[in-house]
Amino acid sequence: MTTPILELRQATKLYGGSPAIDAVDFALITGEIHALVGENGAGKSTLTKVMAGVVPLTSGKMLIGGKEVAPRTPLEARHLGIAMVFQENSLVPSMTVAQNLFLGQERFYNRLRGIYIAAQQFLQSLNFDVTPTATVAQLGAAKKQMVEIARAVLHDAKVIIFDEPTASLTPEEKKYFFDLVRELKRRGVSVIFISHALEEALLISDRITVLRDGRHVVTDETRNFDRARVIQAMVGRDLSKTLYAGRKEQVRPPGRRVLTVENLRMAPMVKNNSLSVFAGQVTGVFGLVGSGRTETFKIVSGILKRDFFHGGEVILNGRPVRYLTPAPAVRDGIAYITEDRKVEGFFETMSIAKNVYMGLLAKLGGKRQLVLNKEAETVGKKWVQALNVRAIGQDVKVVELSGGNQQKIVIAKSLVQEPRLLVFDEPTRGVDVGAIAEIHQLIDRLADEGNAVVMISSYLPEIMARSDRILVCRQGKVVEEFSAHEATEEKIMYAAIH
Amino acid sequence: MIGALRAIGDRVLGRGDASITVPIFDGALKPNQILENAEIVAQFDAADDLATDGKAPLVCDGGRVLLPTDGAGTEVAHFDRPVTALCALPDGGIAVALDGREVIVREGAGGERRSTGPANAPFRSANAIACLADGRLAVTDGSRDNDCAQWTHDLMGRGATGRLILLDPRNGDAREAARGLEYAFGACAAGNETLVSESWRHRVLAVTSDGRRRIVLGRLPVYPSRLAVAAGGGFWLTAFAARTQLVEFVLRENAFRRRMMKEIAPEHWIAPRLRSGDSYLEPMQGAHLRTMGVLKPWAPPRSYGLVIRLSADGVPRYSLHSRVDGINHGIVAAAEVGGFLYLLARGPGRLLRLPLADLEKDAAA
Repeated sequence: MTTPILELRQATKLYGGSPAIDAVDFALITGEIHALVGENGAGKSTLTKVMAGVVPLTSGKMLIGGKEVAPRTPLEARHLGIAMVFQENSLVPSMTVAQNLFLGQERFYNRLRGIYIAAQQFLQSLNFDVTPTATVAQLGAAKKQMVEIARAVLHDAKVIIFDEPTASLTPEEKKYFFDLVRELKRRGVSVIFISHALEEALLISDRITVLRDGRHVVTDETRNFDRARVIQAMVGRDLSKTLYAGRKEQVRPPGRRVLTVENLRMAPMVKNNSLSVFAGQVTGVFGLVGSGRTETFKIVSGILKRDFFHGGEVILNGRPVRYLTPAPAVRDGIAYITEDRKVEGFFETMSIAKNVYMGLLAKLGGKRQLVLNKEAETVGKKWVQALNVRAIGQDVKVVELSGGNQQKIVIAKSLVQEPRLLVFDEPTRGVDVGAIAEIHQLIDRLADEGNAVVMISSYLPEIMARSDRILVCRQGKVVEEFSAHEATEEKIMYAAIH
Repeated sequence: MIGALRAIGDRVLGRGDASITVPIFDGALKPNQILENAEIVAQFDAADDLATDGKAPLVCDGGRVLLPTDGAGTEVAHFDRPVTALCALPDGGIAVALDGREVIVREGAGGERRSTGPANAPFRSANAIACLADGRLAVTDGSRDNDCAQWTHDLMGRGATGRLILLDPRNGDAREAARGLEYAFGACAAGNETLVSESWRHRVLAVTSDGRRRIVLGRLPVYPSRLAVAAGGGFWLTAFAARTQLVEFVLRENAFRRRMMKEIAPEHWIAPRLRSGDSYLEPMQGAHLRTMGVLKPWAPPRSYGLVIRLSADGVPRYSLHSRVDGINHGIVAAAEVGGFLYLLARGPGRLLRLPLADLEKDAAA
């Protein structure tokens, strides 16, 4: 076997004690295109961030050309010949292509004309059809991608890592991008390619590595894989050993239709999306990052706005609604429990009681002119007990709580509003095992009480174990619906990818 | 004034009544192929309605009322005009609507009574008859402007002249219980109320005898048609076509629609149909069609087959479909007889049959 240009041995990265990658072995051969695939949270991004010097390893080794290295910054990684092209490109939009290419390499005296000439020559040598004097903001997604690649090659990168490079490209642009990657390979550059689109990975890569739950599952040549084998490797956990017991046995029948979304549009994330949510059921919503699932329910909840023209209809209990802010949605009984609790979920320096009380005030709107500390205490105490929040008292600041208890506070903040339609977005992300079980029980209880519950999750076992019906989103809309009886992890993943 | 401004705003922005959105087939309405796989009991040329006396299904085919046997039918009654609605009476008789303009009640004892509806507003498009508990008949009159066969004209003309008429066969008294309906097509007794399908509003209403209305089931993705009582409690609601954004768009564009109605043959209008695929001139439907060497991934369904099982309070429990690539489209009537659900598919002119036990088992799975 050829000597690897880049190697990771027993690479482990812990976040707050939890491993994002756990003893992963990975080898990249010179001049190969290596696809990294896995579910959301499988550890792909962490693995590549380690290589690119964005985050350091907690334990394990990284070798370049057989020599142990430990880049601590992206600049150090770049000096070692590793460049990463992120999904959100890192170009400065107000600067020209040439200025972006030479950003960070400026000399004491810069002659703009000289930079443009150098950039022109360099881009031509790569056969990239990009005007060096154009500002980046004017470029399309594919051209921006080209500039990113050109910058990596200009920095003499031996390894280029692409994180979801085709997510924002049109089919024509994708084809062009694949040609570029093949050109890089011809030049002897090694490419790591992260993609949720399995067809792309199977089409372009020489080898595929599958990660699952932060662990290495398999690495093999692409010709030995087919779609089914990749999906099996991505999702094939031993469910009996996880917290989730597998598929539901008792499925709740649908009640009346609480929410209907008709042809909803919010460019570019939500594209003609239609779905229904019924009372007395848990509707699981699965989709990969960028599938538009969160945005759809944020529009329903008044957090985001749909397209101004022909944005579609949202019907709540038979009545068309259009919320410009979340407050009227809260008053109409909609609760959206955010996936990003630290930013959107609570006021971290305020106490538990005041955070929960804030939820009640949001419901009351202008009716409550005064903040009543006594009432806040009572409400806080009630919900601390009801949701079994483990804290010394309701006066404790939320920032001092564990992830699971913080999540319970976010949930309590919504439940205090007595909603009838609850949207849980990634309810157990970053939550400890004990709290996961409690949150799941709560979700079940809310559905049993006749509420319409939506659970958005990237974790298939959670979707399978909790949902009475499962909606799968892809490219901005629901593409498949499964009942709990007919759903399998493979079927759901297949629908989410193809 | 505010309403008018809002209507203009909605029209510009594509919102509210001017939106061209269509509800999705999901939940209990999730598509399947059950209807397409149903057993074909008999084939008819011009069958329009289906009823049951509790022992066997009865079908009206042109001017005849038939007791269908395998592949053919035994005539039980004959009329000089096409029968557009059929109802079996508790006394063994039948009630029929002839050409949509007259209701004839043939009693089990042999008597016959006729009614042309309320004196000042006779029937024009009587399309469904149901027996009520008090002995009266509930008759839906789809439109006062168009005949039964011209239902597409009524839809494209934005007709809203449908009525529910309560007819007392004993004294011939006919009274409007509801008017201004956007194509009333199907009625069924439900306690003290009468359920009525309002096809162009895509909903089922409950109407009391004094005319009060409430929506039982709204925003359907289909054009609902006749209703039938289900033995296990609840109802069967049939639907003769599925809604599409294309048709909703055409319904919104008045100038285009009027010109289309004026210049294009009705069978080629952009409008729902009971069957499709008969002519290359009609707008295509179905998926994965190859045209000019290009695979078309999607095309709007012109015709569709759907039956919805409703619970007693009008919540859909499950549904039976014949999708765009199927044949059993244009379902207009359903009846339960002897452990089977009989369905009339007007598109292909078929009487279909499905075992009820299997349907319930599949729904529970």
